[in-house]
Amino acid sequence: MDILSVENIRKSFRNNFSFGKYEVLHDVSFFAGEGEILGFLGPNGAGKTTIIKIIMGLIKPDSGSVRILGGPVSDRETKRVIGFLPENPFFYPHLTLGEFLIFCAKMSGMKGKSLGSRIESVIEQVGLAGQKEKRLSGFSKGMTQRAGLAQAVLHDPDLLILDEPFSGLDPLGRKIIRDFLLELKARGKTIFFSSHILSDMEALCDSAYIIREGVIVRHVGLDEVFKMGEGKVEITARGYPLGLDGEIGKFINSEERLGGETFIVVNRQEYVRSVIQHLLNNGADILKVVGVKSTLEEIFVNEIGLQVTESKNGFMGKKKVAERKEKIWQG
Amino acid sequence: MARIVNIALNTFRESIRGKLLYIALVFGAVMIISTYILSPLSVGAAKDKIITDVGLAFISFFGVMTAVVTGSTLVYKEIDKRAVYMVLTRPVSRLEYLVGKFLGIMAVLVLMVAIMSVLMGIVVVLGGGSLTGGILAAIFLSILEMAVICSIVLFFSTFTTPALSFFFTLCFFVAGSLSGDLRVFAQKFGSGTMKFIMDVFYYVLPNLRLFNLRNEAVHQVAIQYSDILLTTVYAVVYCAVIIYFSYLVFRKREFV
Repeated sequence: MDILSVENIRKSFRNNFSFGKYEVLHDVSFFAGEGEILGFLGPNGAGKTTIIKIIMGLIKPDSGSVRILGGPVSDRETKRVIGFLPENPFFYPHLTLGEFLIFCAKMSGMKGKSLGSRIESVIEQVGLAGQKEKRLSGFSKGMTQRAGLAQAVLHDPDLLILDEPFSGLDPLGRKIIRDFLLELKARGKTIFFSSHILSDMEALCDSAYIIREGVIVRHVGLDEVFKMGEGKVEITARGYPLGLDGEIGKFINSEERLGGETFIVVNRQEYVRSVIQHLLNNGADILKVVGVKSTLEEIFVNEIGLQVTESKNGFMGKKKVAERKEKIWQG
Repeated sequence: MARIVNIALNTFRESIRGKLLYIALVFGAVMIISTYILSPLSVGAAKDKIITDVGLAFISFFGVMTAVVTGSTLVYKEIDKRAVYMVLTRPVSRLEYLVGKFLGIMAVLVLMVAIMSVLMGIVVVLGGGSLTGGILAAIFLSILEMAVICSIVLFFSTFTTPALSFFFTLCFFVAGSLSGDLRVFAQKFGSGTMKFIMDVFYYVLPNLRLFNLRNEAVHQVAIQYSDILLTTVYAVVYCAVIIYFSYLVFRKREFV
């Protein structure tokens, strides 16, 4: 049975300046199985937070259904098995971390003597040891984020829904949380999270859904991502003008100059020797030869509507990728 | 029930650690103490009666104002800042959340009234008076009035901004204080339509005049405890109905 099943969700909002409505989610469906970490990827305004709020019952869909462990999210029993971290969480500022977690635990129906030790253990797991007596108003953004994760996992839920869990965390904090989530996965917990940080998504997810303008445009397995780059090799050379054509041009995926260096991506490993020989014969210095690993970022940029075809053979330059990526995130 | 108590306790704890309660308390205390200092200036009335009258009026005024300000900002702020997500995504119904909030605010108001009442009691005794059952009954009815106002402000705060909640509740407060008089006025001088409208207002708006026992307390008029019981039942039913209406609005609310 799917732990999380989202089927044919449609949602529209009223337009502020007219009587019309605009649809923000168009027939969105996806599923998450037990012990799976599922990523949710999309630019700003794509509908990620809206779908998360629908899953959590904070917004009602126009049509479609959400089922968690087979039950609707409105059921008390269903709510018991979900842990939720909203985007940019805000907690009661006058409470200490300990008081806040006791409040959350009791609201989830937890009681008994083990409550104290469970709270201590969770505080430690999210890297907030020693902060239990501190008021939440004195917490930094990263500490608030960790407190948010602590309240989400406190009642040991089967399904975790996390909206931008790495936002505001420093590199050490990100590592602590990443390791913690992997530990939860190893214990069979299902995790569904949205993030802008693609490296975290690559490190954690079994698969990711890419959403654009309220439509799921792709479901990509992380194994698939890594396979996509297999076989390609990038050669960095100096002292060579652009324009590998003729016979040797057939072996080339892309070619680009940045500063004084030329970056040449060769289609397959068996062509590398020939290309290097050609470059050396034409007076180039070979600076580096590395295998190309495809990334989620490339797939993401591709799916968000920007063709990764700038040069003749279909590989966009590093500068252009960066420019376009920036546009997407701003957009 | 445990969830409601937990929300109420959390609301109480959050509120007493905020600044608003202390500001209201300091103002209330200063006003009550000032009646002791200024009462010798009055002409033709016993000092203790003036202290009691003004003291009870200040308790009622600061209590109602604290109820309106706290009620109008508390729920709105929790929704606006998304703190409400922490509660509503757990096995808690929206009705439990509202009832918990209401009881939490009421606990704060009771604490505030208790402190101001002790202060007033000290000032009354220093002014040569004594604490009577009538004074305690008047304070009790003030708390009930605050409960009714608190339920109304909670209703508005489920769908509008703090400024509008504040404004609408004050309108209810003024109209509720005058509804009895207006009805009598309409019965005597108004047309048929006016009489009907005033009747509707009278039954829909809270009859806040019922909660004002200050004159009886000051002049030590005998108090009918059966009236107090009936007024208590009226306040409880009115609050329950308004909180239920709040729930009907709040359960449809989307947290976009």
